[in-house]
Amino acid sequence: MFPILLCYSLCLMMIIAAFGAVYVKNLTSAVIAAGAISLAASLLYLLLAAPDVAMTEAAIGSGLTSVVFLYTLHLIKKIDEGDDD
Amino acid sequence: MADTIYTISAFIALAAVITAGVRLIAGPTVADRVIALDVLTIITVSLIVYIARMSGRIIYVDVAMVYALISFVGVVAFARFLERGL
Repeated sequence: MFPILLCYSLCLMMIIAAFGAVYVKNLTSAVIAAGAISLAASLLYLLLAAPDVAMTEAAIGSGLTSVVFLYTLHLIKKIDEGDDD
Repeated sequence: MADTIYTISAFIALAAVITAGVRLIAGPTVADRVIALDVLTIITVSLIVYIARMSGRIIYVDVAMVYALISFVGVVAFARFLERGL
């Protein structure tokens, strides 16, 4: 009974985080919402008996994608500050 | 007896996920959301170990270990970005 409840709550969390990632104004909060999506997706892959996919999703989606997006935001901020000069 | 303890711990973890999710949605600043995501990651690691215990597959614990290591790097990157821009 509990895995079904966990699956439903993970799907609800993924949908809410996806809407948040699209509609939120602050870009850093959007990156955080994308990280929450990959967190829920990793746990859902594990519940669907795919531990290797869950491990890859944890490494790529939660770790690498957040760092790459933050580096891009940092470069955008630096370019905007350069245009002001 | 052990089954009752497992069920109670699972619902406690679910309540913790809901509480951290409320803070993740309604956090006024970005730092609140980063902390909420970190708390959600820690609860997720405990849930992965719970699923490994329930399904009887010991390979799932490796996923928990990888997830704990990778999420630490992500939170450190968020903290550096918020402080002085990566």
